[in-house]
Amino acid sequence: MTMTSVNRGRTVRGTALAAAVPLLLVAACSSGSGSSGSEDGEIRMLVNLTDNLDQAYWEKLVEPFEEKTGLKVRIEGPTGKSVAESFPQQLAAGTAPDVIQSVFPDDDTAPELIDLSGEAWAKDTPMFDEYAMGEEHYAVGVGTQTQSLVFYNKSAFAKAGISEPPTTWDELAEDLADLKKAGYTPMQTAGDYQTGLQLQQIYHPTLNQLHPKWQTAVDQEKLSVGDAYKPAFQLYADWIEAGYINKSDVGLSPSQADGNFIAGKVGLYTNGSWFAATLNKSKDLPFEVGVFSPPAADGQAHPGPQGATMANPYMIRKGVADEDGAKQLVEYLVTDPKAIEAQLGSDGVFRKDSGLEQTEIDAQIQGVLDEAPALVAVGEGQGNVRLPVTGFNPKFTEVAQSLYTGASPADAAGAIDQWVDENR
Amino acid sequence: MERKTPVRPRGWRNAGAGVSMVLPAVLIYVALLVVPVIYAFYYSFTEYNGFPTRVPEFIGLENYRTVFGSADMTDTMVITAVVAVAGAVVVNLAALGLALLLQRTNRFNTFGRVVMFYPHVLSALVVGFLWQAILGPQGVVNTMLEKVGTDALPFLSDPDWALWSMILVIVWSLFGVQLILYLAGLQAVPADLLEAARIDGAGRWRTFRAVTWPSLASTVTVAIITSGISLLKTYDVVVSLTGGGPAGSTKTLAYSILAVSFPQRNIGVASAQAVLLILAAAVLALTVLVLRRRAEDDAESIG
Repeated sequence: MTMTSVNRGRTVRGTALAAAVPLLLVAACSSGSGSSGSEDGEIRMLVNLTDNLDQAYWEKLVEPFEEKTGLKVRIEGPTGKSVAESFPQQLAAGTAPDVIQSVFPDDDTAPELIDLSGEAWAKDTPMFDEYAMGEEHYAVGVGTQTQSLVFYNKSAFAKAGISEPPTTWDELAEDLADLKKAGYTPMQTAGDYQTGLQLQQIYHPTLNQLHPKWQTAVDQEKLSVGDAYKPAFQLYADWIEAGYINKSDVGLSPSQADGNFIAGKVGLYTNGSWFAATLNKSKDLPFEVGVFSPPAADGQAHPGPQGATMANPYMIRKGVADEDGAKQLVEYLVTDPKAIEAQLGSDGVFRKDSGLEQTEIDAQIQGVLDEAPALVAVGEGQGNVRLPVTGFNPKFTEVAQSLYTGASPADAAGAIDQWVDENR
Repeated sequence: MERKTPVRPRGWRNAGAGVSMVLPAVLIYVALLVVPVIYAFYYSFTEYNGFPTRVPEFIGLENYRTVFGSADMTDTMVITAVVAVAGAVVVNLAALGLALLLQRTNRFNTFGRVVMFYPHVLSALVVGFLWQAILGPQGVVNTMLEKVGTDALPFLSDPDWALWSMILVIVWSLFGVQLILYLAGLQAVPADLLEAARIDGAGRWRTFRAVTWPSLASTVTVAIITSGISLLKTYDVVVSLTGGGPAGSTKTLAYSILAVSFPQRNIGVASAQAVLLILAAAVLALTVLVLRRRAEDDAESIG
């Protein structure tokens, strides 16, 4: 063996070692079952932090539980844009929290979660069965958030000569024309996630009258999303062309859109029940707020089915260090009267027979909820009624925004169908 | 022979000391940069949702077929290319122009340099939110236009306007570093050559073409490569300024990886997109280096 070959051999071994050591370190760090229970005995709870639900709110919410049980709860905000984005990343990194708030299980995450079907306290919680996957129940919630609401400015309606909220699409189109003539922005929409959300919200009742459990029909390839939503795309395209919806709304943030409605410049504003919390916080509104359920399909009874989601859902990760503690925490959050009361008042959440004192706007929403013939799955769906794709809402928003930038309803329908086909 | 004996151990000691000093850096470099890239390559050939309980399933080139077969994803590549090329051209032209104006040291120029560098100090997310407040439909500019009775401009609500607004905002945020690079490069231009050109009666443009520009060759190369790579990775400004909209018109490849593919748990597809981004950055860097080498060879052959 020559000196050169010895040196080369050393070099190769050195390089291999330099490459192998970090690889082993990384592999050692990333391997394992994904168990990441906190070592200091705390229960880690991942929550969405919003204007209405901030860190102080969550800490105050769990304080009585900590005092009663002696367990410590650590509130954690998302490491990314939202819990929906952060939770899968944390699962992959092996740093997932013990309790997860605000998201629902799906085919990927369900195997990582504890089935709560056997918990007696869970059975009577709101929408428990609606969120079942097969026979398993991974999520329990505090109440219901209604998704298909149209908030309106009663003063604007009076000035425009509109006596009653519309119950059909033709009546709605006439009202929009009258509101425009009266000098109001007839319908407020917004950019970001809200463009697609609002289009879905206003069309939920009609869509579910025409195609009950439409997500399942799409899953079974009996219906395409484009066919289901094409009439809604047509409505929006007509309203944009008529100037009832501003094209520039697509560049507007949701909070700016909220502000426009609160300032009294707007006739109609489609939103979910959480907007009631924002309205309730706004003192001295310059007008009276009304709420109605969107128009029904032609020839169908009004109101139609109401889009609804489980509010404040909680899930527990499988492999959590203190499973009993995590279950006790979730039980407290969804069954303790004071915890429920705090959560109902915070973000437009409703629960039957809660006994909570309601504002005028809350009472109207409760009325819409009580009159709805059915509560139906929204967007990507829930439990056993789900689309065969993930990431539907962001893509739907992109497609809805294309209506503002010149795409035809047929193009929009084709685009969403193509995406579903590519991601099915 | 007697003199050689003590030299050898010292050589080994020196080599050992050298290795011990270099090894930690090499280990960190390999662990933090090489290993993730290897993982990205590996995952790009698998179907995997990223969860430790799932085993990645090898599927060959399927993820690359998905990336190139999806109009959605190929659109993001085109947008990324436009952002990188147009942004790199604009940021470098603007930075070089201003560096030429601010190269002399006086109080005004020092103040000017600080002001120009300031945007780089801000986080890209803050930059996006700041410009959203300025360019949005109800932002400062459109509110002022409305007050003087002019139609609003669709900075963020028209696809073409939104793309160019985003490019200009990124240019604004990157500009400071490129300016510093060019200012440093201009300090290295030989004063005697500039003086000789002046004595020979060369005008400002002729002096720039014949003396300053060739002397700046390595600076320009570095500036184009660094700005091009930064622009290829554009993500934060997209999130805070446009959210990828309207209608996906500002969705870059990096945004698609982080805000679409990862949340959808398509780790394989996201990794394939990341590998393509790495290759694009490598192609960009090599192309600029080759062009520069060729230009230098041409110059030498003429000389």
